[in-house]
Amino acid sequence: MSEPVRLQADETFVLNVGPQHPATHGVLRVKMEMDGEYIVNAETVIGYIHRMHEKMGELKTYPQYYMNLSRMDYLGALGYSHGHVLLIEKACGIEVPERAEYIRAITVELNRIASHLFWFGAFVMDLGGFSPLMYALQDREHILDILERITGSRLTYSYYRFGGLYNDVDEEFVESSRRFVQRMRKSLKKYRRLVTDNIIFRKRLEGNAPLSRETCRKYGASSAVARGSGINYDVRKNEPYSVYPEFDFDIPVYSEGDSMARYKVRMEEMEQSLRIIEQGLDKLPGGPIMPKKPPKIIKPPVGDYYQAVETARGNFGIRLVSDGTKNPYRLKLRSPTYSNMHLFDESCRGLLIMDALAFMGSIDLVIPEIDR
Amino acid sequence: MILDTTLTALAVLFPETETEDFRSGAADTEPAEEEKKKPKKDATSRKNGIILRDYAVHGYHIDVQVDPSQLLEAVAIIDSLEYFIESITGVDWIKEEQLEAVYDFSRYDFDLCRVVIRTRTSRATPSLPSITSIYAGANWHERETHDFFGIKFEGHPHLIPLLLPEDADFHPLLKDFKA
Amino acid sequence: MGKKNIPSINEDVPSSVVQFATLDKLLNVGRVNSLWPLTFGIACCAIEMMATGCARFDMSRFGAEVFRPSPRQSDVMIVAGTISKKMVPGIKTLYDQMPEPKWVIAMGNCAISGGPFAFEGQYAIVLGADKFLPVDVYIPGCPPRPEGLLQGIIELEHKISKWERWKNTKSKEVPSL
Repeated sequence: MSEPVRLQADETFVLNVGPQHPATHGVLRVKMEMDGEYIVNAETVIGYIHRMHEKMGELKTYPQYYMNLSRMDYLGALGYSHGHVLLIEKACGIEVPERAEYIRAITVELNRIASHLFWFGAFVMDLGGFSPLMYALQDREHILDILERITGSRLTYSYYRFGGLYNDVDEEFVESSRRFVQRMRKSLKKYRRLVTDNIIFRKRLEGNAPLSRETCRKYGASSAVARGSGINYDVRKNEPYSVYPEFDFDIPVYSEGDSMARYKVRMEEMEQSLRIIEQGLDKLPGGPIMPKKPPKIIKPPVGDYYQAVETARGNFGIRLVSDGTKNPYRLKLRSPTYSNMHLFDESCRGLLIMDALAFMGSIDLVIPEIDR
Repeated sequence: MILDTTLTALAVLFPETETEDFRSGAADTEPAEEEKKKPKKDATSRKNGIILRDYAVHGYHIDVQVDPSQLLEAVAIIDSLEYFIESITGVDWIKEEQLEAVYDFSRYDFDLCRVVIRTRTSRATPSLPSITSIYAGANWHERETHDFFGIKFEGHPHLIPLLLPEDADFHPLLKDFKA
Repeated sequence: MGKKNIPSINEDVPSSVVQFATLDKLLNVGRVNSLWPLTFGIACCAIEMMATGCARFDMSRFGAEVFRPSPRQSDVMIVAGTISKKMVPGIKTLYDQMPEPKWVIAMGNCAISGGPFAFEGQYAIVLGADKFLPVDVYIPGCPPRPEGLLQGIIELEHKISKWERWKNTKSKEVPSL
């Protein structure tokens, strides 16, 4: 009776993580086959927040669909809306005023920083450090203030319109954005001292879950997951769109492939986004924010169109099959985290469970964006 | 140029068909004519072969339609040229009683070239070969396409519902789907 | 008196069989000042829920900042997001695992009625948390602002106990929910 239960040497057991688990950042579930504390096999189960975005795409008209893109990824909503409007503008041949494109680029970058800040806080919290989340969300609130003034919403922006924007920015937007850039530069230094240079943090992440270039390619990984594995891939540079060719910025790339590399890529991306915002504010041209005659009814000609953009989470693609009517025939949303998360199953084999959760945090998950 | 390399490699699959060029600047195809041609091309089932598309309009360069039996061969060529898989999706062509699977591939390097591979299967018994043996990342994409359209991917290791509940037996993105 | 103070769903619970009128009142004041929500975010609203708990909005001013990852330690379930049919068994389990007394806040339009994802022919979501849970407070918004969530927490406090955080509010009456 007093004998403890001992597992046989080759015996494994199944551990269910999620769908409600603080480390999965939402309703993600992973079935892990464990040998002691080591993962033998993992199977990710998704779909707990499948919200039928693609079905809604077929039922709604083009302008009615604005709102879906922002609810798909609520942390970096503007990047997704940007892809959507660029696609329809390309298909219909709508000219966008330069001012509108500049404002789009500035707001997308602001949103990207907000998203990365949230990831930063949540990631460090996964590893057991609580205070960085407080600092990060404090900085993030400043971005939300700026964006809320012009878009009218804190998270789920529907700010872009086919052809331009819903609302023009004013002098105060420029001023507050400049103030924010100054503030954020100081904050990034603080984060470096507080977290990045922390020896416990480094020891925890260095060498954690290294990914090879080939794995990334077979799974179609993008964003920091690819860039942390030595792949210099950023849609803003590889496939320039909007006004990004006008800006001078770098793509941080690390070749280690571990969680620390992914962490460093995102932290440096924030600095690069600040550079883009500064340049955008300097260059911001005057003029209208909507074309003179925006089309009243959006009816893209028959055909098959594709647009990729770099969102906060990576390479977001949107495919439209149009039959020339008011509704899309088929609207496919290719979400970046879907591919990034997919490689988790293969790459977490042999890891300790806490290392696997650190790896999962470094992927930057937003579950509704995986499930769509 | 990777575009030409890919074209040459893919042309092996279609010894009898010529590559069509729909790029606006290229050949003698005028945009107006292209407008007229496209509905015809897309509405009726087009012949298998390679079409060069205008990147500025469509967002991709090479558009290949293959027979399901040639799919693995075509994907293997794409894989050997170091493309990464972007997504797999389906389109329901209900009028033609066909389901189309669309495979997107792109590149990590700065030699920009996007390839789209399409293949069609009958709507009554949709079945296609699985490419998971070539691209491991196709696993979820194929499961998703199976969820939404009911296309059966032969050789897929684990073809169970992914986004829909485990016991789902409906395919919501089919055009005749009613909740 | 038990029925007034404790929500009707708790009728069958042993703790409410024996009632100590004054002690119960006191206990309820204690409860409302330390509501422990379950860390359970589903979608967009969860981000606002986290923002509410963080520096600027600081939910700890109202005693509700102790987010517990385990349902066995929490009193309030904040349903923050769209409820898919696949997720319903999970949410039910979580609710059943919470000890009595327990309350549910439906945060955001999705948890109230399906919100923007309710359309004819939808196949994946449940149109509102009240289809299978006893909801105490509804907070509209898509997503609600953090102030909205704070208001919802305060409304719940009023509902649980007649104790009021501010005595000089315009209406002396406890809102009839």
